[in-house]
Amino acid sequence: MRGFPWWRLGVLLALLVGLGLGLVYSWMISPLRVFDAEPKTLRADFKDQYRSVIAAAYAATGNLPRAQARLSLLGDSDSVEALNAQAQRMLANDQSFEQADKAAALAAALDEGNQDRPVSSSTVEIADNTENVVTATPPPPDVPIDLTETPQTIETHTIVNESTPRPTHTPTPVPGKPFKLTGQETVCDANLPDGLLQVVVLNSNRRQIAGVEIVITWDGGKEQFFTGLKPELGNGYADYTMTPDITYSVQLARGSDIALGITAPTCQSSNGESFLGGIKLTFQQP
Amino acid sequence: MNSKRSRWVFIILALAVGIGIGLAYGWIIDPVDFFDLTPDTLRADYKADYVLMTAEAYQVEQDPALAARRLAIFGTKSPYAIAADGLAYARATGFSDSDITLMQELVTALQAWSGIQ
Repeated sequence: MRGFPWWRLGVLLALLVGLGLGLVYSWMISPLRVFDAEPKTLRADFKDQYRSVIAAAYAATGNLPRAQARLSLLGDSDSVEALNAQAQRMLANDQSFEQADKAAALAAALDEGNQDRPVSSSTVEIADNTENVVTATPPPPDVPIDLTETPQTIETHTIVNESTPRPTHTPTPVPGKPFKLTGQETVCDANLPDGLLQVVVLNSNRRQIAGVEIVITWDGGKEQFFTGLKPELGNGYADYTMTPDITYSVQLARGSDIALGITAPTCQSSNGESFLGGIKLTFQQP
Repeated sequence: MNSKRSRWVFIILALAVGIGIGLAYGWIIDPVDFFDLTPDTLRADYKADYVLMTAEAYQVEQDPALAARRLAIFGTKSPYAIAADGLAYARATGFSDSDITLMQELVTALQAWSGIQ
């Protein structure tokens, strides 16, 4: 034992202690100051604010590609879902309906844009490293196709993700198509509240839309209510309790067919008792 | 005596080297991953694009107070100064004339609005 070089062990211990001290200082006491951050690293509430401004800019310019490029900076796995969820949160938190509507409108436009993208069996889909799918249209039939050539990736998309979206031509905003009343059914369910009017609003892709204003009128009265306030029942769901013996008209504020003559029906339960039933209306963009 | 002193020198040197390696690892090789950041940490081009978005919205809304609230997320400066910084960046990096015009209008509006406040 006497011959053991204890001082060497001391050197090793000092090295380890120094390493630990250095890591504690560089990771906890004085980590590198952050600058040049990307929007995807923002706190959730700041991301909401960022998304809200993207929606407001889109509402002003109608420039969907630019809005898409900006949304991609936030790193959401599904921008449409993120916008719809945000619209619901804004309504639930009593924030301006106008701002919530802009977020919902951008979500609807993105959804519609995705659906309108032409798809054919000969279309080449190239997945890039950001999990987005870039669609490359094949050449016209009169152009010979070199089957041995590997499809080339489209670099434009990568550039968009790595730098600030560059200015592009601003198209004129196009209003959405008016909604059609695609369903009207009587609901006789004793478990539901009496006279429940249920409204479901879908886009052309049959996806539910949050934040849509519904106007209900009757002789001498009018009220508004919104989809998305009960997300557990669906983003595009809204309901209203009808008073017996009153006839209502229902339509969407942004333009739709009018459901006329809506009144709470009388239903029979299994044991023969009558109760007030409900109505379910479905509006969908054509 | 000399031998004891040189051993202490080795130990202190080892401590210093350890600290150096630790700092290099924590600052350069594997720095802390950041998330939940505040907007003032954004890169200048993202800030400028945010100012441009605010200017695009302002063009239609014509509400300088709302524009100022949107820019206030950057915190440390006045909305006017934030918009002016964005405009300067846009000019320096070749944003399109139409975008620069929008940002200029926002800067002017916020300057006037700041004077009223």
